[in-house]
Amino acid sequence: MESMIYAENLRKEFKKIIKEPGLKGAAKALFKPNKELITAVDNISFEVPAGEILGFIGPNGAGKSTVIKMLTGILTPTSGFCRINGKIPQEDRKNYVREIGVVFGQRTQLWWDLALRETYSVLKEIYQVPEEQFKKRMAFLNEVLELDSFITSPVRTLSLGQRMRADIAAALLHSPKVLFLDEPTIGLDVVVKENIRSAIRKINEEEGTTVILTTHDLADIELLCERIVMIDKGRKVFDGGLSELRHNFGDVRTFRFELVNGPDFKLLDYRRRFKLTDDDVCAERDGSSVTVRFDTAKVSVEEMISYTLSTVHVKDLNIKDVEIEEIIKKLYRREVSL
Amino acid sequence: MMRYIRLHRIFIAQYLKRLMEYKVDFMLGAIGLLIAQGMQLIFLGIIFSAIPALKGWRFEEVLFIYGFSLVPKTIDHLFTDNLWMVGYRIIRKGEFDKYLTRPINTLYHVIAENFCVDAFGELLTCILLLAYSIPKLNIPFHWHTIPLFLIVSVFATLIYTSLKIMTSAISFWTKASGHITHMLYMTNDFGKYPVTIYNKAVQALITYVVPFAFTAYFPATYFLTGKNPLFCLGGTVIAGTVLFLLAIFVWNRGLRAYESAGS
Repeated sequence: MESMIYAENLRKEFKKIIKEPGLKGAAKALFKPNKELITAVDNISFEVPAGEILGFIGPNGAGKSTVIKMLTGILTPTSGFCRINGKIPQEDRKNYVREIGVVFGQRTQLWWDLALRETYSVLKEIYQVPEEQFKKRMAFLNEVLELDSFITSPVRTLSLGQRMRADIAAALLHSPKVLFLDEPTIGLDVVVKENIRSAIRKINEEEGTTVILTTHDLADIELLCERIVMIDKGRKVFDGGLSELRHNFGDVRTFRFELVNGPDFKLLDYRRRFKLTDDDVCAERDGSSVTVRFDTAKVSVEEMISYTLSTVHVKDLNIKDVEIEEIIKKLYRREVSL
Repeated sequence: MMRYIRLHRIFIAQYLKRLMEYKVDFMLGAIGLLIAQGMQLIFLGIIFSAIPALKGWRFEEVLFIYGFSLVPKTIDHLFTDNLWMVGYRIIRKGEFDKYLTRPINTLYHVIAENFCVDAFGELLTCILLLAYSIPKLNIPFHWHTIPLFLIVSVFATLIYTSLKIMTSAISFWTKASGHITHMLYMTNDFGKYPVTIYNKAVQALITYVVPFAFTAYFPATYFLTGKNPLFCLGGTVIAGTVLFLLAIFVWNRGLRAYESAGS
């Protein structure tokens, strides 16, 4: 069976006019533009099987949104193509978008001045959802996203969390097969984030909806995604499961402990003891508590713990699991390469 | 087609609800509109009282042409005002993304989303001018006069709308084109008066380049005199059709060049 989403060598270039600063620069650029070609997305290929939740991550400006916009048919690729649900978005736009849902966290597709309910009744017409199905769907979305308390309020009065839930419901009204979520948890508090995550999970499980999600919140990734694609500077730098990511990029672990005597901290010299570099290990002290991050590819957990315990007096020690966040931070800072 | 008509009704209803959501703004807007239209009528009165006849055109004939010019302008204004926003804001801000993710024609969606009640003011002026001038003129009346009038109004409106579509679509490449639309649109003022009062260059411009002469002067002279139907009415139909096809073509090419905005 073909993948739900298939992208081959997607590439997008933008022409950019380089301007010198100030009004003078702007005037100069008006008459003698200095053009430069920017490659926002550089030959990216990937596939997503039906029913999967794929996390799409990368630092700001990496090209995530540009890829999403090509997949949703908003932008036309400079070269390469994508086929989703058997259709090429740029060739068969109207039929294609009938079966996808799109949420751009930074924008809204709701009717700003009217009660939220009105948006759904217009979308019902736009997507030609039959009355019976519409009622069932609204009941389901109400339950999953808890819209009831604000469905009669004008959209402009909604809080960001309410608005985001409303926007996700709007994207799901016509029961799409694929859901694109561009930063659906941006700027939200922990409770709303959790609500949105469980809604995404529920829709994925109950309806087999394929989901592509971009985010900067790695908890989204850890809690929702089986697989991630990471891009940087328009190139794909990683494509695989979370366990693979942990494996490939070194097992960064963290352990934390309380020192009985704070100043003892200076007795601990992991670098010299295990001949490590600053990248491999990092120890920080805050009062009497110490946090140590280290790469298990270079030194084992036992060695670290036994060295610590034999050097200083310790109470209350705990070891945390591998932190994806650490790996990704390193990747973003380009401290590890592929 | 039926679906689009149904959708249009819904969009207009949404627009009217939105209008009434802000009561103060709505009331003040309505008052402002009445004042503006009143002023325009007074202004027209002053102009035409100073020049009772123009290069052989009787006062009532000039009023008729002027009133006729407002028919397509009003229809265009009423239904397609949102096109202005395409050139001024929608594309520059990346708001066009929304239209591309919905399963309806983008051009239709943009146009249908807004409904410009301001146009009712123009409609009032238009009706007053025609109602005043027609009884005073000896307009030859046949069974086909009304149908021809309706048909020619549709195509004259297409001239307005198509020019707006084309100039708005330029912003798919340039990001903003509101001023281009404005510049071209303002030449419609030439079309409100008998073109024979202008020099040859202006006449050629508004007949063959930006054919506003076909939105009022030519069809209106046909109704006044019954002469030259092929050129006067046929010209409007051809100009409207050609421009509309061209506009659709430019718009669709523009969609491919659309670059959105960062988010």
